[in-house]
Amino acid sequence: MISEKRIILRNSGVINPQSIEEYIDAGGYKSLSSAFASTPEKVVEEVMASGLRGRGGAGFPTGIKKQAAADRDTGKISYVVCNADEGEPGTFKDRIIMETNPHLLIEGMIIAGYSISAKLGYIYIRGEYYDSVRRLQHAIHQAYARGYLGNDILGSGFSFDLEIKPGAGSYLCGEELTLLESLEGKRGYPRIKPPFPTEKGFWDKPTLVNNVETLANLPGIIGHGSSWFRSSGTEKTPGTKLFSVCGDVKKPGCYETDAGVILNDLINDLAGGTSNGKPWKAVLLGGAAGTFVPYSFSGLSLCYERLKEQGATLGSGAVIVIGNERKLIPLMQSILMFFRHESCGKCVPCRVGTTYIHERSLEIPAAGNEARISILEEIVNHARQMAKSSLCPLGQSPILPLGTLQIHFTEMIATE
Amino acid sequence: MVTFTIDNRTIQAPDGSNLLDVARRNGIAIPGLCYHHKLTPTGACRLCLVKVEGMNGLIASCTVKVAEGMVVTAFDPELEETRRFLLNYLLYEHNDSYDGTYSDEMRELIFRYGLDKPENRYLKPNWEKINFKKDDSSPVLTYDPSKCIKCFRCIKACDEVQGKNVLSFTERGINSFIIAGTGIWGGSECDGCGECIQLCPTGAIVEKPNRDIINLERIEKKIITTCPYCGVGCQIELLVQDGRIVRSNGVEGVSPNDGRLCIKGRFGYEFVHSPDRLTKPLIKHNGLFEEVTWDEAFDLIAKKFTEIKNKYGPNALAGYASAKCTNEDNYLFQKFVRTAFGTNNIDYCTRLCHASTVTAMLKAIGDGAGSNPIEDFETTDCLFVIGNNIIETHPITATYVKRGAAKGQKIIVVDPKWTPLVPYATVWLQPKLGTDVALLNGLVNIIIKNGWINRKFIEERVEGGMEAFNRLEKLTATYSSAYASEITGVQASKLEMAARLFATSPTSMIATGMGMSQQVTGTHNVFCLINMMLITGQVGREKCGINPPRGQNNVQGATDVGCSPLNFPGYIPVKDDDNRRRVAEVWGVPYESLSPEPGLTTVEIMQAAYEGRIKGIFIMGENPMISDPNLNHTEEALKRMEFVVVQDIFQTETTRFADVILPASTWAEKEGTYVNSDRRVLRGRKAVECPGEARVDWKIIHELAGRMGKPMPEYRNESEIFDELARVTPILAGISYARLEQGSIQWPCPDKDHPGTQTLYLDRFNTPTGRGKLFPVEYIPQNEKADADYPLILNSGRLLYHYHTATMSRRTKVLRDFIDESFVLIHPGDAKSYGLTHGARVRIESRRGELETIVRISDDVREGEVFMPWHFTESQVNRLTRDELDPYSRIAPFKLSAVRITKI
Ligand SMILES: Cc1cc2nc3c(=O)[nH]c(=O)nc-3n(C[C@H](O)[C@H](O)[C@H](O)COP(=O)(O)O)c2cc1C
Ligand code: SF4
Ligand code: SF4
Ligand code: SF4
Ligand code: FES
Repeated sequence: MISEKRIILRNSGVINPQSIEEYIDAGGYKSLSSAFASTPEKVVEEVMASGLRGRGGAGFPTGIKKQAAADRDTGKISYVVCNADEGEPGTFKDRIIMETNPHLLIEGMIIAGYSISAKLGYIYIRGEYYDSVRRLQHAIHQAYARGYLGNDILGSGFSFDLEIKPGAGSYLCGEELTLLESLEGKRGYPRIKPPFPTEKGFWDKPTLVNNVETLANLPGIIGHGSSWFRSSGTEKTPGTKLFSVCGDVKKPGCYETDAGVILNDLINDLAGGTSNGKPWKAVLLGGAAGTFVPYSFSGLSLCYERLKEQGATLGSGAVIVIGNERKLIPLMQSILMFFRHESCGKCVPCRVGTTYIHERSLEIPAAGNEARISILEEIVNHARQMAKSSLCPLGQSPILPLGTLQIHFTEMIATE
Repeated sequence: MVTFTIDNRTIQAPDGSNLLDVARRNGIAIPGLCYHHKLTPTGACRLCLVKVEGMNGLIASCTVKVAEGMVVTAFDPELEETRRFLLNYLLYEHNDSYDGTYSDEMRELIFRYGLDKPENRYLKPNWEKINFKKDDSSPVLTYDPSKCIKCFRCIKACDEVQGKNVLSFTERGINSFIIAGTGIWGGSECDGCGECIQLCPTGAIVEKPNRDIINLERIEKKIITTCPYCGVGCQIELLVQDGRIVRSNGVEGVSPNDGRLCIKGRFGYEFVHSPDRLTKPLIKHNGLFEEVTWDEAFDLIAKKFTEIKNKYGPNALAGYASAKCTNEDNYLFQKFVRTAFGTNNIDYCTRLCHASTVTAMLKAIGDGAGSNPIEDFETTDCLFVIGNNIIETHPITATYVKRGAAKGQKIIVVDPKWTPLVPYATVWLQPKLGTDVALLNGLVNIIIKNGWINRKFIEERVEGGMEAFNRLEKLTATYSSAYASEITGVQASKLEMAARLFATSPTSMIATGMGMSQQVTGTHNVFCLINMMLITGQVGREKCGINPPRGQNNVQGATDVGCSPLNFPGYIPVKDDDNRRRVAEVWGVPYESLSPEPGLTTVEIMQAAYEGRIKGIFIMGENPMISDPNLNHTEEALKRMEFVVVQDIFQTETTRFADVILPASTWAEKEGTYVNSDRRVLRGRKAVECPGEARVDWKIIHELAGRMGKPMPEYRNESEIFDELARVTPILAGISYARLEQGSIQWPCPDKDHPGTQTLYLDRFNTPTGRGKLFPVEYIPQNEKADADYPLILNSGRLLYHYHTATMSRRTKVLRDFIDESFVLIHPGDAKSYGLTHGARVRIESRRGELETIVRISDDVREGEVFMPWHFTESQVNRLTRDELDPYSRIAPFKLSAVRITKI
């Protein structure tokens, strides 16, 4: 029987999220002083040493990103942007952080700003997260009033401003370059990559884009050191991880554990097991842009390295449990509908492909067994071509759920 | 330069160039529909995917820059299969019907990949299910979303190329389609330039005019020529079918426009085939015009002009040349007036637009033309635009400005009336009409006070150096920002900002317009501008200087080739004895026969006619009965003359007063050259035949010269006329038709090996001393003032959609569709005081005349000032204007007349 390991969520549900005093009493904003006591270079080194990987989905090492965004020699303008768009279906962890402990994110952002010498940060929040916006806005006011934001923070000579920008309901706007486009006030179309945001980001200036959870890890790393951080999780995925568990489980919710937790431990020990107590049929890991795994994967350790070996992903940490009675075809159709709906339409393969494969998937139920298999095969082939030729990661994503469906569940789909 | 390989071929290209572009230039035809070399890469169609060693996956070559040692695979089975797959996708969502009226890049690819054959397509088309609706609301184009491949080219054409940013996508994914503004084209800010049409690769956006006639397979010829409208001199390609012009495209890759056009250049050719064209010579008999033969017309004209000359002397004759005719036409015309008439009474409408500018510039810096190439409008750090509605009157120059603005160029707009450039401006100064001298002296005062002058420049390049400067300092000392602010009504802080931006930007350039020149103090206004430019040293370097964008496509050329009462071709004064001798020799006439006495200017000619001193006039392609000031007076002058000949393409307000009307040719019916605003000599080429018996202008003049006993050499073609012109015109001496075939050339071009001159004054000014001259001048309040009887001040100007006296533009349907009605802009406050409502019909009266028009309430104008476009013959603004002239340049003050407005 495992239990949660709350580091990021340590104060969630414990302190009043609307009170900066309670946050400070609980040790908040201390890491900021530690950061100021050291140099920006040292802060980046510490993050590098921690091995922290981005929690937004791609798992890119955060320290390397910081190194790239830090453009101190030239004295150029740079920005920190927090990706709080949380659009991945089945993912609801960033929201928990923002609503239960907004100051943790603010402190993380100031540290990030300090480390790359940025003077301005933005938090781009999913438009429907009204409470997150409200609580963060309140917290930002408090932080200004206390001198944690604004000019010459705590007499350090470092100044940092923070603004909130709500999104307008596009999944794609969570993709970092599209997010920046949207932040600039433009329509949410992805940009051509490279250049990466660390080189040319917001208004073409070096920009560090990090997920909420990633940034929320910084106060801990700077306050307690990288080796403390590495004492959780696995070697390649150090730290704890927030998992959004939902679907056919008794206690859906957001759970923080060591990264590398065993899948079934997470489902059974923390989420209370499947709704009907029977072994689950499938788990969709990482959301719509994630991968299906069969029950034989139940002993898998949820860390980047192990999942990758098995052709699965951790993504944003969404764990969607599909009970043994649930049908896969409608689920697949709804995922394809999601991509069709969210495809921005900029590039041909994704714009047409998402429509085409969704239309094709609608023909599966009426088809015979053999025909189902060949339709699935055709859809997967299309998804593969799309992945090869699409402009942005969205069009490259449908192959992930579709490919794994085909590998593990062809039989089931044929007979369902 | 870097070296790299594509499909094992070694290729060299400048570092950082676009891979797709380089490949195509090297004949490697990588497909691709969303890339266009004028636009930033989009990466949307994915057809240009290639493999690059060391990079993951397939890479869109249009989004990659070439680098040393790059190893690129452009064609292999996998890539071709991917492309075929993508084309199939496009066919799934795309209506591939084709009607042959546009060039279709997508269709070419469909054929190339064998997808014209149904058996090769593997998806059933689905576009009909998407339920797209056509947008047919624009006067110039139709958008069919079912043919749209969402390549972004139109959006970027409108935004990045034309700086208008009207277009965007709406909806998402496969349902997305283009919208203009916030809805339909017809209700948007689209001004019909058609850049989006030109760059659309699939015919989703197509031209409306001639849609039912044109068939690309039946196009007989494509002729590259110069636009007949404004002084930008855009290069256009005319498509001719069944002897008619059916389309005009911008020519990509050449100066001055690189494919860009405005609505007039793209659609304004309809007048050429108008049924109203004059096709036979006409002679007035008892007040009625009768068709006659050319012989009869020539005989009568020769006889009458000779009679007048014999009876009253040569100076009783005069000629109006034309800013719309070619250099060759105008050159022969002035030669005709100088030899056959024997007078220097030759002028044309330049007198009405930029004569004061030219006068001031000739005196102060030595050349009467713009100092910079058009590209500098984009690249200079700071642009000072004064009295110049550049977006409407010089639309393509304005595209450079807007592109500059997008990159952070500082723009100062000085205009009493709002212009579409204001939203792009860093600061807008809105002075009261007629207070420019005070405003500019104020700026000079601020510049001096803050020490922003360029002392070194003054000492080295200004006549009299610091001493001359001190005189200017003394004179402007009283024009403190507070005082200038009081006179002009412009906030002092704005004056300070404008002065600082102009003086302290690394490079600053001036664009001055009719708002400055068409005033009683026109010459003084421009002197003040030049003063400001000289003391700050914002001239004599690239991207610095002063430019008067010219109104008509050959307004520059007509003066260059000598249609001036003061100057022979090449700005050599008529008094210059040596030159006269030289010219006489080339022309083969006795030197004594060329008059050394300066002739009369445009308005002076009419005044002299009014007073009975001028008895006969030959008007070539001008319409003084709309363009001259104080029209009632001009009308009387025309009536009093004994013999009036008008050579034109249409009946005009002026032909009514003619004794003989000669049917002439449009620009599309003849060979020739034009000079645009940046001194670029451009070729015009014949696309179609003259209608009926209409003749090419220079041939008419040539014939007449012979009949008046002053025959000219037999020119076999226009090129030979140009060669003679080059011999008498030093600034054009190095230019010939053969050279122009390689591209346009900017004068001065003194010899065959000279490349032409991009920027003037880099080393010296063209004054006798080689230095620039300061002309300190005081502000003098206007004589014409608002008073109890005439309480409002009327300003006048032009619109994008019409042109000059509108004889051409109003014969083109799409231009009429945008606007076909005169109006007066009046401030809401004044409208209230005079009880006027939007759309009300009103009478406007000045001390000289009256007209009727329609009210448009708008805060584009200041309170107390009103504005009218002058194109419309039914509301002739120049019935209201004065002919009180600027004493130096004899220009008339079109911009300022006291009027009253009453509701009808
Ligand atoms: C279609 C799409 C949607 C995404 N949505 C989110 C999101 O909602 N939140 C997020 O943090 N990252 C999202 N990402 C990932 C971001 O592009 C980016 O990798 C992340 O913000 C980097 O932060 P990290 O390094 O802290 O993980 C999305 C990516 C794609 C392709
Ligand atoms: S892959 Fe999809 S979401 Fe991404 S650019 Fe292409 S159409 Fe848009
Ligand atoms: S016609 Fe010109 S202004 Fe109108 S949408 Fe097209 S590019 Fe823009
Ligand atoms: S209208 Fe033409 S140019 Fe514009 S997106 Fe569609 S296909 Fe491309
Ligand atoms: S031409 Fe490169 S993606 Fe379209």
